[in-house]
Amino acid sequence: MSTFYFIAFLSIFFSILVISAKSPVHSILYLILTFFTFTIHYILMNAQFLAIVNFIVYMGAILVLFLYTLMLINLNKDSEPVKPFMVKLAAVFGAGILMVALVSSLKLSGASAPVVLTNPNLGLVKNLGKVLFNEFLLPFEVSSVLLLSAMVGAVLLATKDPKEPKATI
Amino acid sequence: MNTLIIISVLPIVLLYLGLYKAQKALLPVTIVGMLVALGAAVMQWNDNAQPIYHGMMLFNNFSIAFSVVSIISTILILMLSKGYFEKISSHIAEYYAIILFSLVGIVVMVSYHNLTMLFVGIEIMSVSLYILAGIRKNDFASNESALKYFLMGAFSTGFLLFGITLIYGASGSFDLDGIRDYVLSHSHNIDPIFYTGVLLIIVGLCFKVGAAPFHFWTPDVYEGAPSLITAYMSTVVKAAGFAAFLRLFSASFSSIAAFWSPVLMVITIITLFIGNITALYQQSFKRMLAFSSISHAGYLMFAIVALGAASANAVFVYATAYSIASIIAFGALVLVRQQTGSDNVDGFNGLARKNPFLAFVLTVSMLSLAGIPLTAGFIGKFYMFSGALLQYKYIMVIVAVVNAIISIFYYFRVIIAMYFRSAERSEVLIPAYYKFVLGFSALVTIAIGVYPALISSLI
Repeated sequence: MSTFYFIAFLSIFFSILVISAKSPVHSILYLILTFFTFTIHYILMNAQFLAIVNFIVYMGAILVLFLYTLMLINLNKDSEPVKPFMVKLAAVFGAGILMVALVSSLKLSGASAPVVLTNPNLGLVKNLGKVLFNEFLLPFEVSSVLLLSAMVGAVLLATKDPKEPKATI
Repeated sequence: MNTLIIISVLPIVLLYLGLYKAQKALLPVTIVGMLVALGAAVMQWNDNAQPIYHGMMLFNNFSIAFSVVSIISTILILMLSKGYFEKISSHIAEYYAIILFSLVGIVVMVSYHNLTMLFVGIEIMSVSLYILAGIRKNDFASNESALKYFLMGAFSTGFLLFGITLIYGASGSFDLDGIRDYVLSHSHNIDPIFYTGVLLIIVGLCFKVGAAPFHFWTPDVYEGAPSLITAYMSTVVKAAGFAAFLRLFSASFSSIAAFWSPVLMVITIITLFIGNITALYQQSFKRMLAFSSISHAGYLMFAIVALGAASANAVFVYATAYSIASIIAFGALVLVRQQTGSDNVDGFNGLARKNPFLAFVLTVSMLSLAGIPLTAGFIGKFYMFSGALLQYKYIMVIVAVVNAIISIFYYFRVIIAMYFRSAERSEVLIPAYYKFVLGFSALVTIAIGVYPALISSLI
């Protein structure tokens, strides 16, 4: 349990650093650290598949992509828009209300019986595969349409059109 | 289920047709394929559907009715697209394919029986729409619209997913029946997490259907996207969003209506006022339609706030009437815009003298959107309001009637521009496809308005 609290503290600490860091590059580096602590959380919960996916896809691929994008676009301090005070206030207010709702509901629900996993090894790759190809086969198959659509769209948006577009559409 | 398979395979066929440069065959193949899918859906009518694939999908009459409306509206919009996408780029097969992919998502959304399917359906639809909003690559407004839609959509999906997770955490089930059983068996000690989950799902779904205060993306996205894509987004997508909304709330959360109906009531009233009052100030016809679509989302919410046995029917009638009338409006906008080059309401000045047919169908559409009797829009509003009155929600109905009166002002501005303003203009050429779609839609609008029993007792 003490490991959990330590890692949870680190997650919150790094995520605060993400939003408070001045330079966007630092911010992303802290985000990588935050995701790394999530990976440890998944391992603590015996969800090894999620841990590996989180490590490879989120930390490895997506955030490195983020970093490259940031280096390509020019993000200087003067080009960053200063948000008005009211917007900041509204954001803090809204997020604060959401936090109060979540914390209070979590606090109240501690007394009732939590949902107990029937199989504590559910997060292992073997068991996940069994669930995915048995109960959840249809969503798994239908997601292929999602990927195909995204792929076609990415190619469509990225290819250069030789034709000049007409103005009146 | 056959409908889903046919619509999933069709875009792949289209991509191959595009590969072999069969540009002429694209539209006919699409329409024939969709008609086959339509037939497959109608064949399953009254089939005593049971949840299939481990309770993932339930293709009952509700799903069939909404699938049929979505498919018909998509066919009408695709007919308007003849010669439209060619102006944007030479890769038109991909456009048809992506529109059909999003239709796959919509069919999933109206027939899910498990929250994972709801999520997958919404994502398939949204990802396709992000791309479609940005297909005019060299146009700044289109880029802005796609990026804005993508960022806002991804954000709202986060809320939806969080809500689904919390509900799973409380009830231990993704299945609609499982959640309903949890609510019924724990009616006195429902986890507070469950309520938080319901609220987050409301936020996520209101984002998707564009209800205030989560409507900020709607005007910019609708204005920047190409007109036909806007037509698709504001008709088919909105109807499917409400079908998904209604299905979840009537199947699973109906016994805790006392908890969420005040929230939705406030959202409805805000949506109505924001949509209608902002639409008053718009000079651009397209932007006016965007705000009017927000206000129509408010009317559609009535069926969910006053949840009852007739809700499904009311949403069905209203969504049909609204979709068909909007298709006419956007079709007319595309034609007029090709001539005048702007979206302004002034572009419609004096249209009646040169194009009496176009002016007439657009008048029918505006009357239907405003809810004047003898059009389908009146019938839709009638069912919505009578459902709310059955549950003694007088204040909501009064607010809605006031808003309907406000909306008459901006809808009639178009009619006045067409009939009573004069301007030097030449005749707008209307292709045969457009004539068919506009005439058919106007006919259906009047037919439903005069004889509502055609569709009003289907579900």
